[in-house]
Amino acid sequence: MSALLKVDHLVKHFPVRQGLFSRAKVVVHAVDDVNFELNAGDTMALVGESGCGKSTLGRLLLRLLDATSGQVWFEGQDLMTMSPAQLRAARRNVQMIFQDPYSSLNPRMTVEQTLIEPLVLHGLAAGRHRQRAIELLDLVGLPAQYLQRYPHEFSGGQRQRIGIARALAVEPKLIVCDEAVSALDVSIQAQVINLLQDLQQRLNLAYVFIAHDLAVVKHIASHVAVMYLGQIVEYADKHTLFATPRHPYTQALLSAIPLPVPGLRRQRVLLQGDVPSPSNPPSGCRFRTRCPLAQERCAQEMPPLTWLNGHAVACHFWETSQATVTTLTTEVVNERLLRLQQAFSGSVSVQPVQQAQA
Amino acid sequence: MTHATTALLEVKNLRTSFRHESGLEFSPVDGVSFSVHAGRTLGIVGESGCGKSVTSLSIMGLLPKGQGRISAGSVVFEGRDLATLSPQDMRQLRGDRMAMIFQEPMTSLNPAFTIGNQLIEGIRAHRHISAKEARSRAIEMLRRVRIPSPEQRIDEYPHKLSGGMRQRVMIAMALSCEPKLLIADEPTTALDVTIQAQVLDLMRTLREETGTAIILITHDLGVIAELADDVVVMYSGQVVERASVQRLFAVPQHPYTIGLLGSIPKLHQTQGRLNAIEGQVPTPMTQVTGCRFAPRCPFAIERCQLEAPKLMDVGEGHEAACWLAPLEPIV
Repeated sequence: MSALLKVDHLVKHFPVRQGLFSRAKVVVHAVDDVNFELNAGDTMALVGESGCGKSTLGRLLLRLLDATSGQVWFEGQDLMTMSPAQLRAARRNVQMIFQDPYSSLNPRMTVEQTLIEPLVLHGLAAGRHRQRAIELLDLVGLPAQYLQRYPHEFSGGQRQRIGIARALAVEPKLIVCDEAVSALDVSIQAQVINLLQDLQQRLNLAYVFIAHDLAVVKHIASHVAVMYLGQIVEYADKHTLFATPRHPYTQALLSAIPLPVPGLRRQRVLLQGDVPSPSNPPSGCRFRTRCPLAQERCAQEMPPLTWLNGHAVACHFWETSQATVTTLTTEVVNERLLRLQQAFSGSVSVQPVQQAQA
Repeated sequence: MTHATTALLEVKNLRTSFRHESGLEFSPVDGVSFSVHAGRTLGIVGESGCGKSVTSLSIMGLLPKGQGRISAGSVVFEGRDLATLSPQDMRQLRGDRMAMIFQEPMTSLNPAFTIGNQLIEGIRAHRHISAKEARSRAIEMLRRVRIPSPEQRIDEYPHKLSGGMRQRVMIAMALSCEPKLLIADEPTTALDVTIQAQVLDLMRTLREETGTAIILITHDLGVIAELADDVVVMYSGQVVERASVQRLFAVPQHPYTIGLLGSIPKLHQTQGRLNAIEGQVPTPMTQVTGCRFAPRCPFAIERCQLEAPKLMDVGEGHEAACWLAPLEPIV
């Protein structure tokens, strides 16, 4: 099966002028030689900390930014060499959902106008715009009477649903979700994650899911790429990546996350220092300045992304690094809690209880 | 809360009210009670709008003047009712006996002054020592929060520092007068996970070194599990559950807590669909007669709509504000 999306040696450098009069330019290496493939109906997660280039990569996938070099193939066509008209047609298949549902909706447009705009642009659902808008609202779990309302009348979670409905209006095959649930409270975040998963099943959507929260990624993704300073340092299917992370950065990232298990004492890989500036990345391996395994070789040679059975790692010592893998504890399942929680999703009906004692 | 000794901080039936433009008064914090004992860490957890930040601002006396006020209840710190203190006395207390760190370290530091200036100002406001002594103390504090080469760093401006470093400076400032109580309002929310791990580690070490009591305000149940001894869960301006951290995660009694625990995707176990809580938090303007969580609660009975439940003991110092608690008969 040929991939829906194929990213080939994608590079994006931003030249930044230093100071007002200085002619010297500094180049920010936002995305540096990134390659991956994504099949229809799959979810690929891009994870990493601020400044790792994941959002820039997301924007390149829709050509909201022009790449410095490299290609983005969507269904066999290179987005980067398309004419504006071709690109507009191609964007019918690739849509985006943004982090901030407050700033990504036009405050002067009603929900109906917001949802109809892409239909008009692409000449879809002619003559039945309103009906299509109602269908879209229904798809994201909102009632039809919201059509005439403005964004400010909605909560964050509802706005994110409207953003999703707008992305779905043109029946895309791929949606790039840039931190789409990060700004939401946990109970609302869970609703939106469930919605995204339901929609994926119903419409066979592919997602590129950009996030910094690895727990969310583990829940929603089929494949995960970990980025550090503009490069993919590890790539694998979800189960492999979370069970046997091989790159020291991935290992540190996983061990850094606070788990909701009190009294849990984990062996933690505590990284020293901060992420170096992407305008002046370290020589050789970019992670070496914070890496507990770093040796001289790491400063000289950039480790290539090496593949083994669908698992790719960019580290000189990844074969030996397995020993330091910190397996996440699989704690005893709390049956009581699980049953009570299931009542929230309606999968367990709650016994009508007699009036409790006061 | 299981300790018999007198509490360092006792918040009783606190109600904080704000006046809306329309003249309507509303209370984002409505009848909150809890206590903090010396050397203990109390976690306050809840989603946006639950009143956790307003609670902390009320304790610190930092409510926006002319807009918010404590309209009922009391805050007793070291045996003194803070409502009776003059603004001068309150200023003496803040930064000395009690200190606070905020979520956004960039906006809490003044960009026009070096971090040394700001640290020294804080120290000299409360301690009668020379500028030179204050400076060496500031350097010592920076060293304690693990800032590399503090002698040079002290003369830098906040913009030169990364987010994690700025938060360390904030912690150094807050701890510079050895406060008895530290309020940390979402201290690691704006930080990346690897930096968050560093800061949590630092807070744990400093807590052991200084014995400072901490009120840790966060929406992240993982951070709560890591740092808190006792936990208060807030929903819509009220405390709905109160327990030791072990009991809260093992046998939560309030449906909201249960829903919250079910909503978070878990790194350490496999799960199917998330058990999300449907609906949304009521705005503070909504008038509710019964339990505020009832509209979203799958266990709600008729009584929940009519009568607001009070916190009730369910054993071992564990309290829940739910007519059905303990929930065992339902399971």
